Amino acid sequence: MSSHILLLEPDAILGRTYQSILAKGGHDVRWFRGAGPAIASIDKDLPDLIVIELQLPKHNGVEFLYELRSYQDLVKIPVVVLSNIPPVLKAFRAGLWENLGVVAYHYKPLTKLADLSRSVERIMASTS
Amino acid sequence: MTNRRQHFADERLLQLLAEQIKLPLLQIARQAELARSAKRPHEHINTIEDTADSSLKLLDSYLLSLRLARVNASIQLEPVSVAAVLSETAQSLSNLARQYDCKLELHISGRYEPIMAHRAGLEAALTSLGYVFIEAQSTLSGDSPAIIKLAAHRGRTGIVAGMFANIDGLSTDMYRRARHLFGQAHQPLNHLTANSGAGVFVADSLLSSMSARLRVAHHQKLSGLAATFTTSSQLNLV
Repeated sequence: MSSHILLLEPDAILGRTYQSILAKGGHDVRWFRGAGPAIASIDKDLPDLIVIELQLPKHNGVEFLYELRSYQDLVKIPVVVLSNIPPVLKAFRAGLWENLGVVAYHYKPLTKLADLSRSVERIMASTS
Repeated sequence: MTNRRQHFADERLLQLLAEQIKLPLLQIARQAELARSAKRPHEHINTIEDTADSSLKLLDSYLLSLRLARVNASIQLEPVSVAAVLSETAQSLSNLARQYDCKLELHISGRYEPIMAHRAGLEAALTSLGYVFIEAQSTLSGDSPAIIKLAAHRGRTGIVAGMFANIDGLSTDMYRRARHLFGQAHQPLNHLTANSGAGVFVADSLLSSMSARLRVAHHQKLSGLAATFTTSSQLNLV
């Protein structure tokens, strides 16, 4: 089933690449480089899934997720982190990511496009 | 700077340089993966080639900055045409700018006498700076087209040459980040940025070895980073 994915990736080349592979899965992918335009876009059209890099210009991804969780109607949108920051086990144990709606955390250098696709499909299947 | 602080700064620079190089390697890896299943793989192969070339240039610039720092006392400055160096730098950055949808322009207002510089060092510094500007610009520009200018103009004490962009505060922020490479503090999570700024540090280091420090500067209505060079008095008389 086609779903709407919001992709937050600051780098132009990687953004195009991730958008392309997710779109191949039949999803409507809207790609943003910064948190501001992404928040504005969510106001107009709710995504089914958010794929986000935590290292963003001006704001960081964690700030974006806190902002997102402050609105009742956005709380249930699942979030996939795809970041250059290695996952910190401590934060997982403390439940930080769960509280922010993060259902999967992928460390970019070790995540192939196929892995990302599989992860997104699995999440979409479990939420539909 | 004490030995301990110098060691800490070197370590921090290497860490950030590694982070900076990680991005193009990641781009290459993912583009290659995409090319495998693409109907028109040559588009991805072009991106891979441009990305690999740019990262090699950044590494080369870093190595040159180390070499120049080592022989700093004996570095030979020579009369260099600023217009020629800017033009060649623009040429070598053009493919990367295209990949990032940046409009790269060259602006040299007037004819200038040669400046005293180390030609390869100056070109490497401007290329490193360009690399950071193009990458950073693409993450900040939003919907408006990004314009990056390689430019020179006459300043009070010499010829000012550098890189300028159409986003306010970009250069100030980048310069501050580059200065943080000296490792005064840990970067907290809320200050994470998409660009490590190692290229600015490399440019600053290269220019320092020519006694021309990188500073925040303005060119027409654009802000950017530039250095001031003294002109060659010998050739002025010719």
